Amino acid sequence: MKKWQQKIAPLLTKYFSLPSDVMMELPRITIVGDLHVYIENHQGLAVYSDTELRLKTNKGYVQITGSSFVLKMMLPEEILLEGTIKEVTFIPE
Amino acid sequence: MKHIQGSLLTGYVTVRVEGRYPELFFQKCAEQGIIAWGIQKKSETTCVGNFKLQDISGLRKLKWGTNYKLAFTSRRGLPFLMRRFMKRKEVLLALALSVLLIFCLSNIIWEVKITNVPKDLEEKISKQLDEYGIHRGSWTFTLEPPSEIQQQLMNDIPELLWIGVQQKGTTYVLEGVEKTIVEEEEEEVDGPRNLVASKKGVIEKMYVSKGQPKVRVNDFVKEGDVLVSGKLPNSDEENADGKEDEKKEESHELTAAEGEVLAKTWYETEVTVPLSASTELLTGEKKTKYHLKISSFELPIWGFGDPDFEKVHRERNEKDLFFFKWKLPVTFVETIVSEKKQQQGKRSKEEAIDIGIRQAKKELLLKLGPDAEITSENVLQQTTENGKVKLILYMVAEENIVRQEPIDQGD
Repeated sequence: MKKWQQKIAPLLTKYFSLPSDVMMELPRITIVGDLHVYIENHQGLAVYSDTELRLKTNKGYVQITGSSFVLKMMLPEEILLEGTIKEVTFIPE
Repeated sequence: MKHIQGSLLTGYVTVRVEGRYPELFFQKCAEQGIIAWGIQKKSETTCVGNFKLQDISGLRKLKWGTNYKLAFTSRRGLPFLMRRFMKRKEVLLALALSVLLIFCLSNIIWEVKITNVPKDLEEKISKQLDEYGIHRGSWTFTLEPPSEIQQQLMNDIPELLWIGVQQKGTTYVLEGVEKTIVEEEEEEVDGPRNLVASKKGVIEKMYVSKGQPKVRVNDFVKEGDVLVSGKLPNSDEENADGKEDEKKEESHELTAAEGEVLAKTWYETEVTVPLSASTELLTGEKKTKYHLKISSFELPIWGFGDPDFEKVHRERNEKDLFFFKWKLPVTFVETIVSEKKQQQGKRSKEEAIDIGIRQAKKELLLKLGPDAEITSENVLQQTTENGKVKLILYMVAEENIVRQEPIDQGD
């Protein structure tokens, strides 16, 4: 069942132009310059330090590196990160 | 960011979390729906973050069974501010005292202004006001309302034609109009005039100081009859000139007649007096109560319990309280509970007649003025029906019937 859903979701987004983050439970990441990163729809915090933030998503991890990180806000599925951002990396499982 | 809005009002705490992977504690919080913000990793084993005050119990629950250590490093927001403020008793006391002081000062009369009246009358008014207790430094809520003060002043100072009393905050402004007392010159007619009768009557006494009397004592006069003429016949010298006597028959000197003519006049009046009367009397027993009234709730301050009077008469005086210029929603209510007695009086017929006569006399005197005098009265007819005595009275009065009338000099 889940497999079938996962197969049909990309098709739906492609042909019906439905938002992909909702359809496929992907994280939506908004970056404002190198100051803020706003991550929605993540599945939990894995690592957090002054220079690194790693969040779990359904297809592995999102890793954000930089310096002087502060978590401005932390809600169940949203995180607002502030600091100097250097890179955003997707690490597959 | 709306999630952490208003946290300054509801209060928030900064928590230091110590242990291995402290960020995972925040993750657990997020899973439970506890919002955290401003999270900073201080070192490998410590993390600092802010939590809402209402979430603290949830935090404690989460902490159980883990080996994280929580320390509250700072408390911010209104609740903590209030708590700190409440601890300073002297500040609180000073605040309460200053509010009380301002409240007191707002309810004290600071100035009594009297305008628009001459100096002597002003002094008279202020003396009268002192008697009522209105002066600098008296409490406004112990005073009667301005309209009543107005009435009292008008009664007590006859020189006042009108006085407006207005309470403007802590100032009483009185604006008066002086009565210019005009000596009673009933339509004083300048120049030559006659004195004529204003009503019919029999002349009793005459005092003529100027003019020629045309009537004599015991004469009956009708309304409009000339009593004292302003036309004086020319002096004897000219009269002696026999020749011109006829020509000058109509020549005369004109003068302003002056004098007083007292005449007996008659009046017929009708009065009805009920045989039974019910009157309410205050026995003089009374009790004063004070309340603070907040919308419809009344908080008693002084005077508790109801006196055991059989019948009571309640008098309520409400006074507004002020804070600076603002009227407070609280009013000061004074209730005077007086004992009342109902009297069912029965009069005999004789008494009723007596009362009727007295009443009629009083009414007539009021109509005739202060100079008149009632010399005798007679009951012409007397009927009793429906518990009432009906009297037709005949009264004889003695009064001045003079009215001035200018002499028309023709062309």
